[in-house]
Amino acid sequence: MAEEVRKKPAPPDPDSARFKLGAIIEKHYREVHEAKARGEKIGWCASNFPQEIFQTLGVKVCYPENQAAAIAARGAGQKLCEIAESEGYSNDICAYARISLAYTRVKDVPEQNMPLPDFLLCCNNICNCMIKWYENLAEDLDIPLILIDIPFNTGYEPGPDQIAYVKAQFMDAISQLERITGTTWSEDRFREVMDISNRSSRAWLEATGYTRYKPSPLSGFDLLNHMAVAVCARGTVEAAEAFETLVKEYKEAVEKGTSTFRAEEKHRFMFEGIACWPHLRTTFSALKNRGMNMVATIYADAFGQVYQDLDGLIRGYCSVPNAVNLEKARDTRIGIVRKTGAEGLLVHTNRSCKLWSGFMQEMSKQIGESCDIPVVSFDGDQADPRNFSAAQYETRVQGLAELMEARKKGE
Amino acid sequence: MTNQEILSVLAEAAGNPKKQLHHHLSQGRKVVALAPVYAPEELIHSQGFVPMGAWGADLELQEAKAFFPAFICSITQSIVELGIRGAYEGIHAMVIPTLCDSLKVLTQNWKHAVPSIPLIVTSYPQNRGIPAAQDYLKSGFVQISEKLEELGGTPFSEEALAKSIDLYNRHRKAMRELSSTLGKHPRISARQRSDIFKSAHFMRKEDHLELVEGLIEGLSDQESGGLPHRKEDGPASRTRVITTGILADHPRLLNILDETGFHLVADDLAHESRQYRTDAPTGGAPLDALVERFCKQQHCSVLFDPGKGRASYLADLATRENARGVIYFMTKFCDPEEFDLVPVKRNCDAAGIPFLSIEVDRQMSNFSQARTALETFKEMIEQRRM
Ligand code: SF4
Ligand code: SF4
Repeated sequence: MAEEVRKKPAPPDPDSARFKLGAIIEKHYREVHEAKARGEKIGWCASNFPQEIFQTLGVKVCYPENQAAAIAARGAGQKLCEIAESEGYSNDICAYARISLAYTRVKDVPEQNMPLPDFLLCCNNICNCMIKWYENLAEDLDIPLILIDIPFNTGYEPGPDQIAYVKAQFMDAISQLERITGTTWSEDRFREVMDISNRSSRAWLEATGYTRYKPSPLSGFDLLNHMAVAVCARGTVEAAEAFETLVKEYKEAVEKGTSTFRAEEKHRFMFEGIACWPHLRTTFSALKNRGMNMVATIYADAFGQVYQDLDGLIRGYCSVPNAVNLEKARDTRIGIVRKTGAEGLLVHTNRSCKLWSGFMQEMSKQIGESCDIPVVSFDGDQADPRNFSAAQYETRVQGLAELMEARKKGE
Repeated sequence: MTNQEILSVLAEAAGNPKKQLHHHLSQGRKVVALAPVYAPEELIHSQGFVPMGAWGADLELQEAKAFFPAFICSITQSIVELGIRGAYEGIHAMVIPTLCDSLKVLTQNWKHAVPSIPLIVTSYPQNRGIPAAQDYLKSGFVQISEKLEELGGTPFSEEALAKSIDLYNRHRKAMRELSSTLGKHPRISARQRSDIFKSAHFMRKEDHLELVEGLIEGLSDQESGGLPHRKEDGPASRTRVITTGILADHPRLLNILDETGFHLVADDLAHESRQYRTDAPTGGAPLDALVERFCKQQHCSVLFDPGKGRASYLADLATRENARGVIYFMTKFCDPEEFDLVPVKRNCDAAGIPFLSIEVDRQMSNFSQARTALETFKEMIEQRRM
């Protein structure tokens, strides 16, 4: 879902969180290339597939969603989308899926290459689109596909039947992956991976929690970049350490009164949805120019799963943002708005993501009413640059700024 | 009844769901509506409800816009539109499965858009091959059954469920038989074929079964089925095709199929034959049979299909039915079908089966593109024959 997209700062401070986080992403891609070159079987993996499985087995995977985000952020989203469309895919399909399916055709995209997989790990807790996308990848590449099916939670919490169903698939996925890769499961290693993942998640949650300070020591858009590490490397010690460094830096920044948001923080708002990667600069500048800092995002919580045992782990994967019902999704966000003191909500109606955008109108209306904050939405797309209008975006952002301003003045 | 009379009863039911609903209600029956694609109909029937399909309608969306962005399929949007406009007044519950992202969204919007009609969600497992999926589905069915009882249904009864399963199995068998019978009767129009399938969603299965059995019998009696030639041409010149997709029930679209000279000899539409492909096994515990029926279901875009079995299923179906082409009715904004389209087309191309995809929508008003595409497709097939 995310990718390190900014230009490298010069000169880099190797002790900075930012350097470490960037290095983790580089290492992530390098390692999977190296594993492939050594003849190991490597996989492509859905962003919310339980990473504990392959981390424990020592199997390397990479993430088509991250790749698609990187490709889109570096300007090749439209090109790849058009390749998929020429293959017969509708331009209504999620742009990440289109980019990924196009990649299996062209196999070389300098903006972000990835070795071709020997197996696929799919999990539909974020969408069922994922199932169809991975079915087609498996068909195109003629490789095995392991699915962990996590049904959408229409109740507030996942019930015991759902936990049992997902747990059985978790076990089943382990045996399938052992067979495919010739690796063996170790309970000790699994516990270790769970410990590291928890440590990373705690640090991530703590770091993202710093947006509650006024002014915030960080520009919330930073999180969209750092999130890639939370996705790809949550189960590694390096990630845990990098996030702990981030916490340290934010703590110091609060003490010193500095911030990575390089403008006066006039307004604090929540951003809903995935970033528009192809228009990152445009979307960010419009906010920065108005002193609007994003201090709240559901991503902060999304990749911060802390659990005690296997059941807790399963429950976590059953409760990722796109897997829960409107009420639970709403209440979580209301909690975030209250915790961070966000004064407005900017909703990205993401053309790619039906599930994310499909009940957002009603939900954001309820959030706005409950928190008494203005809600404004704009049309965009996470990776297809054609589905975004800079003019509309500017107008909507301006509208939100004015609404927040008016409230401050007590109008 | 003559074939012609049966066909007009079915056409009347297909064209007037509201009248059917009022008829059921006036008879003191309780009705539960079913959103696409699958529902445990037998269970609902066994607890004293008439299950009625709710696949939306061809209408302009107004109220639904307050809930959905434009890029969600018009089937789900029009269900909410109808709900807000009061078309479902009198029903006891709306049953929605979470089989695709738009249906997930529909469950959530329904609660807030139409709070007066209770929602029942069916959570089907996608990993249907593992035993845990069956346990999960069974416990889901038990919860649905309890909810039905709360809503005024009779308590769960194995005996009643076994009877309903038997009825539904007979109906499915009849629908399969009818489909193959229609393959031999080019005088039955695409419009009439659609009415037969569509009416099954609105009528009591008991009543529909009787009519369908009558029709099968009537059609097997005489070669012409006692039906007149269609005015456009002689039966020999009709081109045999199969259709696939979610649904294709727009009267104008069906008329174009008839006018351009196609004979629909079989279908793989979710709204039509996909409903009838799989029976519930008999002999064991009835609830297990219902679970097994779902888990055995295959070749459908909303069900996990890792080998893309649908693509080869369609090619086989075309060959078996001696069809000269495949028409893919592509419901706009339908993810599952948009993904399947590519491998299905590739497979048809590889097998040398002419393939056409046509975009359809619940808000379709311009059919000239569809007409041109169908005319060209027909010509192309006919040239190959020569
Ligand atoms: S449909 Fe949404 S959740 Fe699914 S891959 Fe695309 S953006 Fe992600
Ligand atoms: S399967 Fe397709 S047509 Fe049916 S509800 Fe889902 S998106 Fe809409």
